[in-house]
Amino acid sequence: MSNDPYAALGLTKTATADEIKKAYRKLARASHPDLHPDDPTAEARFKTVSAAYDLLKDPETRARFDNGEIDATGAERQERKFYRDYAEAPGNAYRSRRGYEDFGDASDIFAEILRQRTRGGAGGHDPRAQGFSIPGPDMRYALEVEFVEAVTGAKKRITLPDGETLDVQIPQGTANGQTIRLRGKGGPGYGGGPQGDALVMISVRSHPVFRRDGDDIVITLPISIDEAVLGAKVKTPTIDGTVNLTIPRGASSGQVLRLRGRGVKPAGGQPRGDQCVELRIIAPPKIDEALQVFMEDWRKTNAYDPRKGMTS
Amino acid sequence: MTDRYSEDEAIAAVARLTRTQLIAFVEAEIVSPHRAETGLIFRQIDLARMELLCELSEQFDLGEDALGIVISLIDQLHGVRGELHAIAKAIEGEPQEVRQRISAALRRAHEV
Repeated sequence: MSNDPYAALGLTKTATADEIKKAYRKLARASHPDLHPDDPTAEARFKTVSAAYDLLKDPETRARFDNGEIDATGAERQERKFYRDYAEAPGNAYRSRRGYEDFGDASDIFAEILRQRTRGGAGGHDPRAQGFSIPGPDMRYALEVEFVEAVTGAKKRITLPDGETLDVQIPQGTANGQTIRLRGKGGPGYGGGPQGDALVMISVRSHPVFRRDGDDIVITLPISIDEAVLGAKVKTPTIDGTVNLTIPRGASSGQVLRLRGRGVKPAGGQPRGDQCVELRIIAPPKIDEALQVFMEDWRKTNAYDPRKGMTS
Repeated sequence: MTDRYSEDEAIAAVARLTRTQLIAFVEAEIVSPHRAETGLIFRQIDLARMELLCELSEQFDLGEDALGIVISLIDQLHGVRGELHAIAKAIEGEPQEVRQRISAALRRAHEV
């Protein structure tokens, strides 16, 4: 960026506060990334102009700069995300649902776009309908649910600070970040228009034992050395309760055992996922003499190198 | 659970934003946070939007009504650009011959 904020605004040191403001507005209008989403150079230009203005708009920092107390980058702001970085994403709730009505049936493509946009929306209104009616606005809510509730499904009630309540049925297999649409639970329509929808964004709390990987449930299961060496049947938590899991003889840390059909049941009749059990061998809390002697003895004839090929 | 900001966190994250402004934006329905039991929840898109709204209102002296119109036009512009990208991408996947016919049709549309 330029080292001279005056030059960045096309001014000299004698500029008045009013001239600075005017110059900034003109340049900002020509370079603000959100007003020029198609211009890749806009962001850099806008940053330069904004940094210069931030420095000069305040008489105090301007005086400090003039006196050489701070340099031109002193006021530079950190990496910023602009609105345009989000605005074109398909999920952007601020994107209007309308905009192609006047294309009529001129093009199937626009009919398709319009259909996509109104899909699940508060019902497209018919512009030829008698009188004036507008569908109600969609209302947005956020709800945190427990891990197990999201997996098995649950009935929840949101109680807002103002006392308003909303009942939400969490479907089985709901994922973190998923939005549930409750038809007709949004704002009232005008002039007989249909009521808007309630959109509930679900956050799933993390669980101390279970994690989720798509439709699979993942857990890390600690086992003892003797269980790893000899094999064992051990109790394992699953979403449906405790089950017995067979640890094969000679199991290693990191080995993953699969419990088929113990995962998440996704919506839409697909089969349930699995539970993946990652083993982790835990050393005994105390290495007693017998174990030590045995291991030293054992090593003499059975040493093996699990790191073979890793180091030269 | 990233990308979830409380009202206080939003005000801290957007340097220019004051609580008064935030409440005004929400009441004017130009920002639509999610409502939750703990209060309002903002996402990054809401923060970026409020940053833009603050700039428009402070530096260009836009009042609330003008702000509502400007942001709605910006939203429409982004919407159209998004659709245009989608159409361009769909056309890209078509055979050469179809793409040429579309280009020719676009040229004709511009000539009129």
